[in-house]
This record gives sequence, C-alpha cells and structure tokens, in this order.
Amino acid sequence: MNRRLLSLIRKEFNQIRRDRRLALSLIVPPTLQLLLFGFALNATVDNLRMGVVDLSQTPQSRDLIAAMTQSGAFRLGGRYSSAQEEGNAIARGDLDAGIVIPNRFADDLARGRQVSVQILLNAMNANTAAIAQGYSEGVLQNWNQGLPRGGVNASFAASDLAPVARTGRVLMHPAFLFNPGLVTSWFIVTGTFGVLLMLNGSLISSAAMIKEREAGTVEQLLMTPAGTGEIVTAKIAPLVVLLCVTIAVATAMIRIVFHVPFRGSFALVLLGALLCVLSGIGIGTFIATFTKSAQQAQLMSFFVNPPLASLSGALTPVEAMPHWMQPFTVVNPIMHFGVITRVVLLKGGGIDAVWRNLAALAVFTAVLLSLSVMRFRKQLG
Amino acid sequence: MRRIFAQVRKELTQIARDRLALVLALALPLGLMLLLGNSIALTVTGVPIVVQDLDDSPASRNFIDAFRESVTFLVIPWTTALPPERAFESTKARAALIVPQHYGRDMARGLTTPVQLLVDASDANTAKLVQGYAGEIAANYQPAAAPVKAEIRLWFNPGRESKKFYGPGIFVLGISMFPPLLAALAMSKEGEQKTILQVYVSSISATEFLLGKIFAFLLIALAEWCLSMILLVTYFGLHLAGDPTPLLAATVLYAFCVASFGTLLGAAIPNQAASIQAVALGGFLLVFLLSGLIFPVSNIPPQLRWISGLVWGRYYIEIVRDALLQGGGWPAMWFNVVMIAVIGAVFYLLAWKKMRRMQLSV
Repeated sequence: MNRRLLSLIRKEFNQIRRDRRLALSLIVPPTLQLLLFGFALNATVDNLRMGVVDLSQTPQSRDLIAAMTQSGAFRLGGRYSSAQEEGNAIARGDLDAGIVIPNRFADDLARGRQVSVQILLNAMNANTAAIAQGYSEGVLQNWNQGLPRGGVNASFAASDLAPVARTGRVLMHPAFLFNPGLVTSWFIVTGTFGVLLMLNGSLISSAAMIKEREAGTVEQLLMTPAGTGEIVTAKIAPLVVLLCVTIAVATAMIRIVFHVPFRGSFALVLLGALLCVLSGIGIGTFIATFTKSAQQAQLMSFFVNPPLASLSGALTPVEAMPHWMQPFTVVNPIMHFGVITRVVLLKGGGIDAVWRNLAALAVFTAVLLSLSVMRFRKQLG
Repeated sequence: MRRIFAQVRKELTQIARDRLALVLALALPLGLMLLLGNSIALTVTGVPIVVQDLDDSPASRNFIDAFRESVTFLVIPWTTALPPERAFESTKARAALIVPQHYGRDMARGLTTPVQLLVDASDANTAKLVQGYAGEIAANYQPAAAPVKAEIRLWFNPGRESKKFYGPGIFVLGISMFPPLLAALAMSKEGEQKTILQVYVSSISATEFLLGKIFAFLLIALAEWCLSMILLVTYFGLHLAGDPTPLLAATVLYAFCVASFGTLLGAAIPNQAASIQAVALGGFLLVFLLSGLIFPVSNIPPQLRWISGLVWGRYYIEIVRDALLQGGGWPAMWFNVVMIAVIGAVFYLLAWKKMRRMQLSV
C-alpha cells in the first residue's frame, strides 16, 4: 500500500472522527430497527377467537369443542345459537373462526356414520387461514384417533372395521429440525441483519460521497496526484471500519436478545457480512454518482430500497413469491446474505453449502465498486 | 376562502412543474403496489420435499403419489444413502417424508402406520404451513377412515390469495408515505429557502396558509387513491364487499391526516434532507411494522403494541380491508373512522402551533 493512499485514508478518518453524529447513526438506528423488526414482525398464529354453535348439545359435542378451543391455536370466542349469528360475528371482526356442530352429531357417531362438522375461517389473511386450517384438521384427527380407544363412543370401534376402512390409517409424525420450538423471530432477525447492513451501508456511503461534492472540495481532491480508485478506496475504508461496529452490535443482539443459536462457523458469517457491507457501500457510491445533493440521493433511495428489501426473502420466504419473480432475487445481495446467515447460524452448514452465495456477494461488490470508480471521474467532467 | 384556494392552486402548480415530485406522487405508489403486493406473501407453494421410501411397495408409492399430485409440494430426487438433513443445509429441500419399512404390510393389516415428516424449521412459519399441508394430504388420502370430518369454509378470500390481503396494505402504505413526503418537502423548502418570509408579509393568515397547503396535498392523496384503487380492482381482483360509506368517509379523513402529518414535519424541520428521513421513519417504518400490514397486530408484544394504537395507518388498513373483503360496514369500523379523525386533528393542531412559532422566531 502506498503512502498516498494511507494519508488519504487518514484524512477520511480524521473527518469522520469529528462527525460524532455519523458514528452514532451507525449504532442507534440499526439496534432499534433490529429490535423492532424482531419483536414486531411475528407470524405466530395462536389464540384465534373461535365461535361455537353446538346444535347437538351432547357430551360428545362438548368434548370436541373443548378439544378445539383448548388447543392453543383457538380459544373460545363466544357461543351462538345459529350459524347465521356466528357468521355475522365473523363479518364484524368479533371472531376469527367458527365451528358448527350439527344436531345429529352424537346419533350419527353412535351409528358409525361419518359426520361432518363445519368450520368457518376468516381467510382474509391467507397465512393465518392456512395455518388455522392445518391446526383444525390436526385437532380433529387427534380427536378421531382418541375416539374408539377413549370410550367416548364404544360402538364406533365396530364400524372401524367396515370394508371401506379395512386398510390401516396413516399417522403423520412431524419433527421440526433446527428450530424445534418454532421461534419465528429467528427467521426475521437473520433476514433483517442483511437489510440493515445493506441499507445503512448504502445510506452512509452516499452521504459521505455527496458531502465532498456539496462542499465543493471534490475538485481539490481530484487536483491531488491521487487517482480516482485511491480516492474512492480511501473514502470507503473508514466506512467499512465503522460498519464493522454495526456488525458487532447486530450479532451481539442476535445472540443475546434473540437467542439465535450459532451452530456453524462464525467466521463464515463475518466474511459474508463484510461482503454484504461492501456491496451496500457499492450501491451507495453508485447512487451518489447520479445525484447532486443529499436530498436527491435520499429520494433516489425511495426507488432503490423497497425492491431491494422486498425481493430479498428477508422477511417473507422467497418460495412464497410468484414464480416469475423468484429469479430476480438472484441479483440481490440481501438474499445471498440471508441464505448465509440462516444456513450457517441456524442449520450449521459449512462452506460447501454457502460458497455460491459468498461468491455472488464478492462479484456484486467488485462490479458495483468498479462501476462507481469509473463514473466518479466521468461525472465531474 | 379565496386566499385558501389561491394557496392550493399555487401548491398544485408547483408540484405539476416538478417532474420528480409527480413521479413520486403518482407513479411510484403504483410501482410499489405491484412490486410489494406480489412479493409479500407467506404461503409457500411448490415446497421442495425429499421422499425416502424405505418400503418401496405399491402401497407406499401410492401414498407418495398423493404428495406428487399436490401443488403445494414438489418432490425432488434424493438418494436414500444421504441423510435428508443434508438437503436442508444446502437449501435444496424444506421437508422430507420418510415412509418406513413394512408400511404396505402394516396398512394391509389395518394397523395405524406412522410416517415420519421432517421439516426444516429455520423458518418457523413455513414449517407450520408445511406441517398443515402434509397433514391435510394425509387426511384426504383416506377420507373414509375418519369418523368426524371437517368441512372447512374459507370466508372473504376463499382462494387464500395473499395478494388480496397485502394489496390493500401496500395501498395504504403508499398513501401514508408519498403525499406526506411531498408535503414535508414543500413545507421545509419554504423554510430552507426563506420564502416563508414572503408568506408572512402577504395578507394570508397562518390558518389560511396551512389549510391551503394541506388541501393541496389532500387532493394529491385523493388522486393517488383513485389511481391505486383502479389497480386494486383490476389487478388485485378486489371489489367492494359491503357498505362503501365508511371507506369514503375514512378516505377523506385519512387524506387530511397524512397531508397534515407531512406539513407538520415540514414546518418542524426546515431542512429537506432531514424531513425526508422523518417521513421515512413515520410514514414508512411505523406503518410498515406496527400496523398489521404483514403480521397481525395481536402478535406484537404488549410493551410495543400500545404504539400501534397511535399509528394512523393501522386504522385505515383495517377499514380498507373491511370494505374490500369483509364487508362489516359501520358497526365494525366506526371506531377506526373516529380514531383517524382524532389523529388528523392532532396533527393539524400541532402543525398550526408550529406555524405560529415559526412566525414568531423569524
């Protein structure tokens, strides 16, 4: 490394050291954002209010209602005398779900006939509806399982051997790997990590580049014997150091506040985070070469940030996007970093599982930074 | 009154001549709706699943075919020699179905036969969905075996389309973000470029000036509302589900609310760059995170949940979703309309106070 570059870097460090607000803005907002995202974004489906219409009024129907409303997914939201009334309550938003048990329920069970109970779900939120549907099917399946054995209705045992049901029953045993407690914040927090690094990296670097231009000192810099590459490198170096503090704070929060397990090699995550920060800086400097003022750069970020954050799989799974949209996530650094954090931290994967994502991040960094260096000089002419 | 209209006209002319502002006001919200409305979804389809058939009998193959036929799962090839966890690590699969040896024999004997489902739970929500989907496939595989069957009716959104739920949310996000952004920029520009002094020496009063500004951006919000509503009806396939009057009343109040919010920020922060950040924080982050746009408000821990009671976007999102999907009408939504009016009034009063103070400080 030559002396010229070193003194340029020293100049940038001195400049930043005097800017107390910048240093603070790299620690406080990311911390708050991580906490807010981690705690506020939670997809858990539980305690849905379920209305009950029990037209049967028998011990069997009460047993089924108890099984439904004490499952954790649903709780008793009220009893209604007709399906109509219950439906109105769902439309008003007083209930999230409803169950209607027909009046022949116990009789049909005793005769060994198949009975249907109606379950109404407010499906406005597709995710809640899908999970609630799975839950209610599961509860019913369990209840069915306990039926002949538990002696709630002894005569059903005979009908179980009816010719149609002669074959055995499949019993699904699900096991949840890597996150048996199904903690939703682990997914959100590991995704938000990349969004934070990316957005803060791009915001700060574009601000730093533009500051020089707004102050009119960029001509002075270009008059020095330093080349464009050196100027840009010197600008970036202190930002990388500062953003490393952000990385440290964020990882500490992820570990201490959200108890995310660190199963794989931490060095891999650090390498990924570093590359993610660098590509964030690359985007920031690239935006800066297109804009003339801080205000313009910030407005530009309204165009760039939403697609970056939403097409990243950071908060919602990539697989849930429409299929034509999914290929676009390949050019998103946040997506690759999200894969790295999740595979390494949660699943304990090694370099063989994430080398492609690391390579992609390295390519983005190289391309974005060299583009900014190229545009930096041209745009002043 | 005439002076207010003149002020409105002046603001609208200024916006119409600023191309960036026009794009921000009208094109970007539509782009955002298309982008986010499509990409925000939690219900995965085509989940890659690994199948390990240790029995390899006609019965087990028949059972696995039930998974092959479903749209929710995509069976990918995987050798029985490798542990399925390896497929999770390399994110090739999200679930694994393991059919044990003697499955076919046990089924023929009429026994209850266990089948193992391994789910990658690093994304807990998807894991639960996968569990539910697999359970449904297994239950429907032999419907005659269950004494009690669930007949599930999905109301208001029978296709379980994520678009129909998130579309209205992003619609509200756009209205909560862009009109206040423009209002804040316009107001802080007056402070930054000291043109506010010209206002002080003219005959217009503080109230008239403020109302003129707010009405101009209220009109912009309504224009954006109309354009976005067209998109909701056409592309998102939504339509009015019930009484439209709560929606219309709330829309006018909400447009007033967001215009006042932007004007307040602009009056409080006479620096354009800083006021953009303030709008991004208030208009975007709060409405995005604490309004139930993606995840239910009831899941926010109680220490934070009270904040969402103050987030204006939350009330309006509920109203839009009610009008377009649920159709609860006034009995369900009157409180939300009142809350929007109250929050709007508070913003207006604060902006008015700020104006007074600005005038005194010059």
